[in-house]
Amino acid sequence: MDEQGRQILMMLAEGKITADEAERLINALERQQPELAAGAESRPKARPKYLRVLVEDTSTGDEPSRINIRVPLQLLRAGVRLTSLVPPKAMTKINTELARSGVPIDLSELKPAQLEELIDQLHEVTVDVDDSTSKVQVFCE
Amino acid sequence: MPQLVTVRYRRPDGRWRRLFIPVLLVLVVLLMLSPLLVLAALGGLIVGRVYGYRVSFLGALGGLGQVLWALPGARLEIDDGQTAFLIRVF
Repeated sequence: MDEQGRQILMMLAEGKITADEAERLINALERQQPELAAGAESRPKARPKYLRVLVEDTSTGDEPSRINIRVPLQLLRAGVRLTSLVPPKAMTKINTELARSGVPIDLSELKPAQLEELIDQLHEVTVDVDDSTSKVQVFCE
Repeated sequence: MPQLVTVRYRRPDGRWRRLFIPVLLVLVVLLMLSPLLVLAALGGLIVGRVYGYRVSFLGALGGLGQVLWALPGARLEIDDGQTAFLIRVF
């Protein structure tokens, strides 16, 4: 029981309030607490600032190989903006190569706003691959 | 804008070595080399025009500036047997 509930019971024990008043106060307290909890849940979470990639591979030898990369999300945004500078001729070549590799994506159709939105939603992404010899984790922090 | 880049790498004898690179110092060196850089940029623009790759010079400059400004906090650490290094940007 929390501090307020304990105070109500003490007031009842000391005879300062009647049992009916104590019941009403406890009911009011119970109504108030779910609202407070809901308020805490609706508080926005801190926006992640970094994309983290962790790789650990033990298949190569005794010492595990490790890769630990932390990329500021702002850097991803800046990189995405750079793609708008890719000349149309180069974009056509990239699209052709992508299609040849089995990835039929037209990069010229990707708008900067869409890429921005993609980065904004990255904080929801968590990749966790764990097998007997290697472990890969991708997440935002 | 990044202030300092630290590079830590493992030497063949197994000992670690750390380098501190102040970005301001790099900018001073770049400033000294600026006449050459301007020539290189012009050369790049001309080659681009010849081969049909038209890139906005100001756009490229702005884009590179944004990338540079977004670098603080970046960290790259690789440890793979003989090769091990850690690069951090502050």
